Amino acid sequence: MKLSTKSSAYKPRAAKWFPIVLLWLLVLAVWQVGAWIYGPEVVPGVAETWRGAKELMEDGSLAKDIGVSFYRVLVGWSLGSLIAIPVGLIIGRVSPIRAIAEPFLNFIRFIPPIAFITLFLVWFGIGEQSKIALILYATLFIVMMNTLTGVLALEEDKVRSARSMGASEWQILLHVVIPATTPYMFTGIRIAMGTSYMAIIGAEMMAANEGVGFLIWNSRLFFRTDWIFVGLISLGLMGFITDRAVGWLGHKLLRRYGVVISSGARR
Amino acid sequence: MSSAHSASSVITIEGLDKSYGGPKQGSLHYIIKDVDLVVKGGEFFVLLGPSGCGKSTLLNMIAGFVSKTAGQLRVGNVEVDKPGRDRAVVFQQADSSLFPWLTVLQNVEFGLKMKKTPKEERRRISDRFIRMVGLSGHENKFPRELSGGMKQRVQLARVLANDPAILLMDEPFGALDAMTRRTMQKELSQIWRETNKTVIFVTHDIQEAILLGERIAVMSAGPNSRITDIYDVPMDYPRDATAPEFQALQRRIQSHFEAALEGGAYP
Repeated sequence: MKLSTKSSAYKPRAAKWFPIVLLWLLVLAVWQVGAWIYGPEVVPGVAETWRGAKELMEDGSLAKDIGVSFYRVLVGWSLGSLIAIPVGLIIGRVSPIRAIAEPFLNFIRFIPPIAFITLFLVWFGIGEQSKIALILYATLFIVMMNTLTGVLALEEDKVRSARSMGASEWQILLHVVIPATTPYMFTGIRIAMGTSYMAIIGAEMMAANEGVGFLIWNSRLFFRTDWIFVGLISLGLMGFITDRAVGWLGHKLLRRYGVVISSGARR
Repeated sequence: MSSAHSASSVITIEGLDKSYGGPKQGSLHYIIKDVDLVVKGGEFFVLLGPSGCGKSTLLNMIAGFVSKTAGQLRVGNVEVDKPGRDRAVVFQQADSSLFPWLTVLQNVEFGLKMKKTPKEERRRISDRFIRMVGLSGHENKFPRELSGGMKQRVQLARVLANDPAILLMDEPFGALDAMTRRTMQKELSQIWRETNKTVIFVTHDIQEAILLGERIAVMSAGPNSRITDIYDVPMDYPRDATAPEFQALQRRIQSHFEAALEGGAYP
């Protein structure tokens, strides 16, 4: 009896993981077949890539590149979010400002961060500043637009009820507008994380001495396609892990505001 | 604690208009026109009328949410020009007016917290009204965990905790199932008798109007809506909907509406 309940509880888990594992094995197989067909100079196989990764790990450059890229993303993204949230709230709450700002926002959000790389290099130099400025830009408008959307989606009844219970305009902002807008802000912050990675790789390819983008770009000089693969896989892992971490934190800290762990998994 | 039938809870309305700019330049579209009304302190007053007749607009004007175009609207001796703690509003939709990120207790404490009432007193007052609306034991639940009727109880407790002189209720039971509605009507009637508040209750349900109201104002269909008749309901509480005098009044009001429908306008 005991055994059967145990196995029936185990089964759905296995059923859930089986297709995922299968998909990854399939990807590895296609990759390896590609390597056999085209040779290691064009498509390095699983083993070659692993050897390349070990090389980069042994001299510490992989950890340093990942660390540098991650640091840049984190700083630019945090700064961008910190600026974007209050600005988004103000634009959302003050209609005269919104009338002016909204067309501008809708104009500028169509200019991708990568388009600004050369300009930012001219303005901020080839050091850290230009990279962080780029990520700040990549984050700013996404978080701002999402915050603004959240403020506009706020039900008038909530504001009215707070007002007739004696709340001041400042208290309404603090105790009604911000909590009600939190899920929108969070969505913006999470999307901006992805955009930030795209922007940083572009910037590091153009002008940098370290970082994952630099690793990928620099490897071409030595015909080290295996290192390029290592760079790509690192990016995938970095994005995946940070996105999951942000999602998990949101779920833990902001659940009462209606932040869910991810769009499909929970409702 | 309970506000007496003081002069400060008398609502005086004279020649009140609400209009918006019409389709043509200079033309006006009147929602309500030339409304005269005096609601006594401590009275249970019902505004009855078909959908779209402007009864909610009138209620929102008393609440201070909607500005008047012409006429006078006073609570006590003060002209109404903004929402105030003396006039609490219970909205039709609990989902859009309750704060989903706060528990039942925190929702009820909201107004007291805005007023910076000390924590112990806040708790004592909230407990009293949570008990009054029959929600003891649900203090730490979130609104999404409650049924429609329970959410309306939270709204009621939330406004009562601020000890307003006047309760403005906009079809608060309109979205509830028939059984829950009957229970809520009985309890509201009882709470009104216990607390001596002035209540203005908007509904399009004739039976509900007679069950609850001391006086019932019938409004004509909009636009240019006005109060056509005021019926006294000289029956003791709790009222019995099967009593002959109850049904006689119901028929009278019913035929009033039918005559209006056939005539295309009110006599």
